[in-house]
Amino acid sequence: MKTTKIREKIIETLFLICALISVISVVAIIAFVFSKGLKPFFGENAYSFTDFITGVHWNPENNQYGVFYMIAGSVFATAGAILVGVPIGLLTAVFIAEVAPKSIVNIIKPAIELLAGIPSVIYGAFGMGIILPIIQKISPQPQGQSLLAVICVLTIMILPTIITLSESALRAVPNSYSEASLGLGASKMQTIFCSVVPAAKSGILSATVLGIGRAIGETMAVMMIAGNAIGGIPTSIWDKVRPLTVNISMEMGYASGRHQEMLFATGVVLFVFIMFVNITVMRITRKAGEKN
Amino acid sequence: MKIENNQSRIIKDTIGKILLYLASALSVMTLVVIIGFVFVKGLPGINIDFLTRQWQAKTTFINVELKNTEDTNLSDSYIASLGAHVEQNEDGYIAVTKLEKDSVLKDSKNLKGAAYEVKVDDVITKVLATDTKNITLEELNKQFNDAAMNGETLKLKVTRPGGGIKPMVVSTLYIILLSLAIAAPIGILSALFLTEYAKRGKILVVIQFAIQMLAGIPSIIYGLFGMLVFVQMLKMQYSILAGALTLSILLLPTIISTTSEALKAIPKGYRESSLGLGATKLQTNFKIVLPNALPGILVAIILSIGRIVGESAALIWTAGTIAQIPSSLTGNTASAATLTTKLYQLLKEEGDVASACSIAVVIIVLIWVLNLLSKWITRRFTVKN
Repeated sequence: MKTTKIREKIIETLFLICALISVISVVAIIAFVFSKGLKPFFGENAYSFTDFITGVHWNPENNQYGVFYMIAGSVFATAGAILVGVPIGLLTAVFIAEVAPKSIVNIIKPAIELLAGIPSVIYGAFGMGIILPIIQKISPQPQGQSLLAVICVLTIMILPTIITLSESALRAVPNSYSEASLGLGASKMQTIFCSVVPAAKSGILSATVLGIGRAIGETMAVMMIAGNAIGGIPTSIWDKVRPLTVNISMEMGYASGRHQEMLFATGVVLFVFIMFVNITVMRITRKAGEKN
Repeated sequence: MKIENNQSRIIKDTIGKILLYLASALSVMTLVVIIGFVFVKGLPGINIDFLTRQWQAKTTFINVELKNTEDTNLSDSYIASLGAHVEQNEDGYIAVTKLEKDSVLKDSKNLKGAAYEVKVDDVITKVLATDTKNITLEELNKQFNDAAMNGETLKLKVTRPGGGIKPMVVSTLYIILLSLAIAAPIGILSALFLTEYAKRGKILVVIQFAIQMLAGIPSIIYGLFGMLVFVQMLKMQYSILAGALTLSILLLPTIISTTSEALKAIPKGYRESSLGLGATKLQTNFKIVLPNALPGILVAIILSIGRIVGESAALIWTAGTIAQIPSSLTGNTASAATLTTKLYQLLKEEGDVASACSIAVVIIVLIWVLNLLSKWITRRFTVKN
């Protein structure tokens, strides 16, 4: 009897250790990335943090490491993708959840799921093969790589996230809401836009924030179409950009010393953004949980 | 007044409807255009050779021990007597089209003395010192026969044609197996702990917070971490083990949350009856809870496979982009490109959109099959319960 108890205890501890691996991983990732990324700003021969965070030129050969224009690039690209992607995604979700007959849903839903599963490099290939040539034709600038191209591809990439999450939020709205609205004489569209969508607000909001997270963290697809400018805040949608993620991935292969540490520092900036997004998501979902 | 109101309402409703249809059409259109683009560009490049060949053509010098050296009447069909059938290929070289079971060519050795098996499709580009370009079969037979008469071992230069994705398919498989071997047990046991053992409290909150954080970290950060810790600090170099370790962290949130959902869906009565019959908690968990959660766990694994197949940013700087079948877990020979990283490299560094799209077709088909599989499992087992 006693041995079984001891055995149970040992196994339970083993399970606990497994569960703690996630915690250890997060701590390790933060510790390693931050310690390497913050190193250039301390000690002898330190690089000024203000120069780093406000600089608009990245030129490792001249010891010039400014990431402000990359932050701007990331933010503009993400904002653009959200502005275009959320309305389209939300309307599609409404269509799937409320309007479309079942036969059409059975076609659209698997399509959206497939879209969600397609690896980002394939979106990059699509961007290179289709979007870049089109932009090159209409752009006042000679190259097709531009903020606009990034926004287009990111919009497509966040659509599945927005659609699936908004759809489940819409479906979670109790039927009584729309029944009450219809019973009061509202039309179907009025019911959807004035009663069902507002009720699903928090789900749609968390879908949006997750979309932001996906857009800001996207690397491979963006790398092929951003143009990877070496400096300057983008002033129009035709300008080349260099989002944070791209900066890391572009030069990781051959960077060493200070240069490599600066790439980790870029990672730290990215991490801070993502952390902010993550915590917002957790807040929203917790609030929604409390309400129910 | 009332009629006007009605009219504006009808107009608004129509606009709303049109918007809904337009947005949905746009969403579906993008998918159609993307898939269409990939298939139009990529399908022409897909054939058996593309799926089964090595990526890079490989040239080897080999020695063939000729056995029937005394037989001199065979000068016309000498090669056939070796158990090999050859033909001139489009480039004018001699390609092996068929090999008999006991062909001596199969027992050839390379210059280091290691065994090298000649295979169908290999191209013989040189016999002794003679280039085989545009050589007639008669001449070739004569060459072989002459060499045999002199009792020499025959020196051949053999090229195994490339242009196929076999190494990437194999590497992808290796990385899937390795990552799952690490992440699946940890993830499943974590889920078990979180749903069956953990009491509400600080530990639970911390673990759940960590899992949510992990789920949100972009894969390039995993790549940075993997490169720093596994590749550089633990000196694994670019290797499948470094890649798999990085990926297994990245997979944990998916596996844990999907498995937890499955565990939570099991009715309480199952556990209570098991415990009531005198089983220990451990026995209950392994004999009652886990077997019932099996469909959910399978779905978690399929989702993970999909994630691994699609991953690139976390793998490029941990597993490298060399198209070879890795022969060890770490070190020089362990670097391997998966389908997706190779696709990226082709696009970015070689600008080869056609080959990239051919690989993309393979990946999309794979993802589609995985999607169907996970849905089938879910449907089959939820109906049953």
